[in-house]
Formats: sequence, structure tokens, C-alpha cells
Amino acid sequence: MTGSLVILQPGHSVVTDLGRTQGPAFGLPVNGALDQYSAKAANILAGNEENEPLLELTALDFRMRATTDLLIAVSGAPLDLTVGGRECPQWEPVSVRAGEVVAVRGIRTGLRAYIAVHGSFTVPRLLGSCAPDTVVGFGVKLVQGSELETRKTTAPITHPYFGLPLFRLGLTKPTFTTNPVIDVTDGPDVAEFGDTADLLFTTQYTVSPRSNHIGLRLGGALPERQLTSEVLSRGVPVGAIEVPSREELLVLHRGRGVTAGYPVMAVVTSRSLDLLAQARPGHTVTFRKTTVAEATATHRAACLELDRLRITIRTVFGLLGIGAGERWHELSPASGA
Amino acid sequence: MSASAIASRTALEIYESGDAALRVVAQSGDAEADWATVHSLAGWLATAGIEGLHGAVPTYDSVLVEFDPYLTSARQVRAFVLLGMRQLDFTGTSLREPRRFEVPVVYGGEYGPDLGRVAEHQGLDVEDIIARHTAKTYVIRCLGAPAGSPMMDGPEFPVPVPRLKDPRLSVPAGAVSVAGRQAVIAPAAAPGGWCVIGQTPLSVLDVSREPLVPYVPGDQLRFYRIPEEDFGSFAGQFLKARP
Repeated sequence: MTGSLVILQPGHSVVTDLGRTQGPAFGLPVNGALDQYSAKAANILAGNEENEPLLELTALDFRMRATTDLLIAVSGAPLDLTVGGRECPQWEPVSVRAGEVVAVRGIRTGLRAYIAVHGSFTVPRLLGSCAPDTVVGFGVKLVQGSELETRKTTAPITHPYFGLPLFRLGLTKPTFTTNPVIDVTDGPDVAEFGDTADLLFTTQYTVSPRSNHIGLRLGGALPERQLTSEVLSRGVPVGAIEVPSREELLVLHRGRGVTAGYPVMAVVTSRSLDLLAQARPGHTVTFRKTTVAEATATHRAACLELDRLRITIRTVFGLLGIGAGERWHELSPASGA
Repeated sequence: MSASAIASRTALEIYESGDAALRVVAQSGDAEADWATVHSLAGWLATAGIEGLHGAVPTYDSVLVEFDPYLTSARQVRAFVLLGMRQLDFTGTSLREPRRFEVPVVYGGEYGPDLGRVAEHQGLDVEDIIARHTAKTYVIRCLGAPAGSPMMDGPEFPVPVPRLKDPRLSVPAGAVSVAGRQAVIAPAAAPGGWCVIGQTPLSVLDVSREPLVPYVPGDQLRFYRIPEEDFGSFAGQFLKARP
């Protein structure tokens, strides 16, 4: 049975997923959830596949009303979550009864939070992804009164006598801080900056209010390119650190234009991009040099943690009869065609 | 440094670009050959069915190869790049037969506010700029930002075109621009620092189809001039390859 919810106060929210990975080959940025770890965790906690559409909230308070019984999970930066006026835990599955209001207030320390709904949303996709692309004008626009259809409803799972939330999985959540340490590897053009490249590791940078999903602008001592030759346009990775002006350092995030003509001095690791997604204007950022091998190991450790979470959730949901396991009865029959 | 010379018939360097991408640069010294190499390599990677590979973004002499560092690794992807290059050494870097596009443009006025500025900088008159811009058959070299813009080598101008000192906050879709030694059409409205010399009434971007733009790198494109009063008669039409 399909369910639905209505947006009461959109704040700054979008329906997104892990991004349009096929996009860059066609000149479109990958976009998608900026804090990938939190987004994956929310979906897993809600019993979804990790890449399913979910809500990304940025900075502002948010409210929605469930039209049907739903199961949700909220992750990301610390915040106050209430369901039907009851305080509820973040980073846990939470039952919402039909008619109840889900309110997120006071997103703090970090910048972005994620709400996944069991059964996810039925939304249009472009090149395999529902992630909004503001340049080509694609994506679901959420305003007051927007209705989102979910593929499933989930009967409330609460304590039979006290109505208390049932889930107390006690999972370890990432720590959020106002002065994150960001791991980077040498960029392909680091040599063009000579000795000034070391400034990246000895300077505390301040996040500028001009930062967004395209890139973060950071104020502080700036490395300087030692060459003046023109650079041919080329593909730049998400996480690329460039020095396009004499004012700020630019760290490209998932909304970045796919090609550019600035030298890439360093590249932020996949795991640290999640931390940068949570950096607010005014937060201070310190960079630390690492290697691709180490960055890969760190990323994989985080993925394995999510894999463990998935197993726990499947076990718990399986025992409770929530369709998180292999839904064999929904699979189409094998065909010889 | 992370670069390393590779034993292949084509001189190639592969640079680490974080934990989820590699930059592969062709270095034969011949721009046309390098361009064919990186686009053929991107085509090979796109169809090779490599697990964890997101895609490849080829431009002029380089290709950015993006991947999921959980499912694969920089080391594995590097090995695939070398395998692809060995195959291309064997099969050659033949690209598909180019298609041709013809693009109507209203030059100057509110459609091309920088036409006069470009003419003055080149020491040519406005008609000469238009003549040179429409005289050339352009090769689409790569898809750029925003939204799969067709990046082309520019018209035969005496000197490179400087970018605007103050980039515009929004350049409309269809804007026909030049900068440096390059030419482009804007598929979507976006900020821009290139000199806008005209505008096409055709829609380049179609969000209802995939891929969103009708051309691929290697296709050919020509501009032709239309009078201002004809602009409206193309309304709602999409750019299509010539049959």
C-alpha cells in the first residue's frame, strides 16, 4: 500500500539521493546528498536501499505531516526531532502515526540533516537520479503543501503500554564539530604551487557565507600558483581545491561544474567531503595531508560500518515483520524470455 | 609526485585525483591525436562494464575517470586505463562518424551585447566578426559546464578574446559566446564570463530526453545568421542533427 506525507514548513529542503553518477560524462554535476554517510545511514535505518530518494534539510527548521502511518529515520547534524509533539531520537528508526507532525528544529553544529522514509518516495529521475540540478532545472520543488507519495506505509511500532519509541539500537553516530580536520591528498597540479602549497597545512581557514553545494569558499593564507600559462579546460573531481582568486580558497563539492581551467592543488577525501558538507559559515577548517591508499581505507571502514548497520536493521526489521529483508514475493517471476 | 610514465605506444600520464578519480593526460605532442586518444579511451571505459566505475569526462588532452572507492580503487582503475590503451593501440582511436548541426544566430544588439567589444578588441568591424564566426565548421571538442555545453575551437580571430572583467550573473540559454580561442553555446541559463556575440532561438537542452543535449564530442557544427525578426519563428524548436 502506498503512503504519503505533506510538507508543512519546507525550510530549505530537497528530495535527493546519492547523486547522478552518470551525469559528469554528459556535462552535468553529480549533485546528490552532500553528506553521503548521513544520507546512507538514514536510508539504512529506515530499511531502504542506501541510494533511495530521501529528504535533505539545510540549516532551517522543517515540518511535515504524515497522511498515513510511516516509519522514518533522521540523521545528519544534531537537531531536535519531535513526532506528534513527542521528543524522538535521531539516528534511530521512528514510527509516525497517520496525522502526526514530524518537526525538525534547531539544526546545530553541522548544517545538513536527512529524513528517510521506509519505502522511499516516488519521484522523477534524470540519468538514474532524482537529485535536483538547478542549472538544467530538474528536481522536485518542495513548498508548503507539497505532497510526497511513499511506496509503503508502516504500522506504528511502539511500546504497547506507554507509547514509547521501540527502537533503541544505540548505534554509534559520527561526531560533529565546529572545527573539523579535513583530509586531502596531493592534487595532480600541486607542483605548480611550489613551496606555497604547504600553506594549506599550516593555515586555519574560515568558511565563508558564500559557500554552497557547488563549493565552499575558505578565507585564510592562500597558496599561489608559480606559473602563468593557460590551462586547457579539463574534468575536475569533487573535492578539488583551487585558488581561483586572491581572496579565497575554493573547495569544489558535489554541485561543481564538471570542467574547469584552474589547477587542482589538492583533493579532499571522500570521507572528509561529508565533514565539509556539515561546515557552517564561520566554522574553522584545518587540512591534513594523507595518501590515496589511506583515504580509501578510511572510506571503506565507514562503508563497512554502514554494512554492519544494514545487517542489524535487517535482523530487527525482519523480526518485527517490516519489509526490509529480501522481498521475494515482490520479485517478478523468473522468465525464460 | 603521483604521475608516472606509462609504456604504451601513446605517451600517457596518469595522476591521482583524490580517492575517487584519476586524471589521464595524453602527451603525444599533437593536439588532434591527444584529443582522439582521450575521447576514444573515455568511450572504451564507458562500454567496458567495469564494476564501480562511474564514468569518464574527456576534454582536450585529458580525461577524468571517476569511480566508487568502495567497489574499486585507484590502482584497479589505473590498470583498466592501461588495458584500454593497449586495446586502442591495437584498434586505433577511430571515433564514430560525425553528425552535423546548423545553428541559426541573431548577432549583436540585445542578443549579443559583447559583439562590438569583441570587434573593437580584434581590430575588425562587426560584420567581419560575424563573417568569421559563420565561416568555420566547428568540431565539438567536449561537453563542458554548464549542462553539457558544446566546447569548440574558436573562429579565425587575430588574437584571443579576453574574458569579461565582471562575469554576468546570468547568461540566457542559447547565448553564443567566444573566449580565448574557444566558442560555445549555452544550453541553459547560468553565470558566465565569456563574450556573448549572439543568441540562437533553438533550444539546445531537452530535459525530457536522455542524454539532454543532441550532440557528442566529435560532431560538427556551423552557425548561420538570421535577422532579428525571425528569432520568434524558431520558438520551441530543438537543435537537431542535419539528416
